[in-house]
Amino acid sequence: MAGPALGISLAPLIRSSPTLSKIFTPVATWYAGGSLYRQYGLLYDDLLIEERPEVQKALARLTPRQAYDRAFRIKRASHADVLHAPLPRELWTKPEDDVRYLLPHVEGVVAELKEREKWDTLTVERK
Amino acid sequence: MLASRASVRSLARRSFATVVDNAGVKVAAVDTNQPTVSITVLAKAGSRYQQKPGVAHALKNFAFKGTEERSALGTIRESELYGGVLSSTLSREHLALTAEFLRGDEQFFVNVLASVIASTKYTRHEFQELVLPTIESEVNALHKDPATHALELAHALAFRSGLGSSLFASSHPHITAADVEQFAATAFAPGNIAFLGTGISQSALSSLVQSTIKFEGAGSSAPSSTPSTYFGGETRHEAHGVPQTLFIGFRCLWCPYSRARLPSPPTSTRPPPSSGPAARPLCSRLLGRLFQAVHLPYSDGTLVGLVIQGPTAAAVRETGKAAVAAFKASSSVKADDLKSAIAKAKFRLATTADGRAGIVDVLGSKVLAGVSETSLDASLSALDGVTADRFNKAVSAITKSKPTFVAIGDTQSLPYADELGL
Repeated sequence: MAGPALGISLAPLIRSSPTLSKIFTPVATWYAGGSLYRQYGLLYDDLLIEERPEVQKALARLTPRQAYDRAFRIKRASHADVLHAPLPRELWTKPEDDVRYLLPHVEGVVAELKEREKWDTLTVERK
Repeated sequence: MLASRASVRSLARRSFATVVDNAGVKVAAVDTNQPTVSITVLAKAGSRYQQKPGVAHALKNFAFKGTEERSALGTIRESELYGGVLSSTLSREHLALTAEFLRGDEQFFVNVLASVIASTKYTRHEFQELVLPTIESEVNALHKDPATHALELAHALAFRSGLGSSLFASSHPHITAADVEQFAATAFAPGNIAFLGTGISQSALSSLVQSTIKFEGAGSSAPSSTPSTYFGGETRHEAHGVPQTLFIGFRCLWCPYSRARLPSPPTSTRPPPSSGPAARPLCSRLLGRLFQAVHLPYSDGTLVGLVIQGPTAAAVRETGKAAVAAFKASSSVKADDLKSAIAKAKFRLATTADGRAGIVDVLGSKVLAGVSETSLDASLSALDGVTADRFNKAVSAITKSKPTFVAIGDTQSLPYADELGL
């Protein structure tokens, strides 16, 4: 499992600068609207690569409802993919519904692993 | 005479000299120059106060998990660096969070305890990943320990609700992290907790607590519990691979211990070893049998009884018969026998208070209840009031009351209460 679970992202940098976010927000909205995952009824966090221990642990932390909905969306999208057609327009994911339900959990797990590593490799300096 | 005076003098030191009230948080400490310090947060949040079954047990296991200041791992690793030990214990009356450490590290550990009671996050994933497995393993351990299990069943029979609610959750409890958080908010409210220190001076602990704990607002109301009523009854529980176990218990109508308002030792995994004066004369008569006398005093009810264990049901039946016969006969105890029993009980009480955990057990509930007299003398002098006449009256009253009878093991061959002459 090389590399961090979430990959490299410029998002924090862009979000921290008002000018950059002003430029990029319309572009990002347009890009997300154009990408097909919303037409297949998925949320962005359904696309996170899940074959990683961090993400697996984060998935275990979803509420039963969240886990059920995720499984349903993936099943529905797979079926639509088999049919080679996006879902009917009323089933497309609305931009306001596209929330990062998994990301906070993954970040929590990554932070925990980091903290564990910190404590495991700590050198104590006595004053 | 001389000896008794000497003991009183040494005991006077073993008391919380003064109790200071810091914005609703009671602080009491005793320093006998020991090399280590212990600080206990005692909360009136035992299993009798829980709104849902198992919440108190879950809260006990939620202690020292992630807070606003540090994570569960951070709390443990950082305490390890200081060489300290963190523990939490649950009794029917109290929940105790204890930190034991070397002198000089008071600041850090008071900070840990303060952050646990004030800002534990009670996250869902910690409940699922850390708390529930611990609960499950403790419940499994309970089922392998029939003596403790018998006491749990006996409490449920004897007191039904309130004191009758089990110290243990079921292995798959129907509670959520939100329930635990709700219970914690009432349990750790100001006015419901006390800081008890040993090996630290009153003023030092008081100023540390004052500087670290900041309660916002008046806090929510303290958890409440219904006053206990004794019912009694009989139950049988089938179990394999454990010793055959009987519990024969009675309500103690007149108990010097309960008048002294002593709590039971906070044990969630072991039956309390303490035994009251009522049980003592029996012990001499049944020497060598497999049994243990238990005396479980609470603020508004006391259960006394015998736990009888043996490898076979026949042995347990025989011991049970002898115990019941001896108990009924003890309504005519001699004054001399009683005197030695009282001396023994006093010694037990005093040795309990000798240890660090003991002094918190014996005197902590008094501090929490706001009793001004927090020395051991009051508890000991209560035992002096026991006379043979009053004792015999109490025993005959006990034997007339409905017994609490629990049988665990091979229920086909274990005796029923009436077969033992109860």
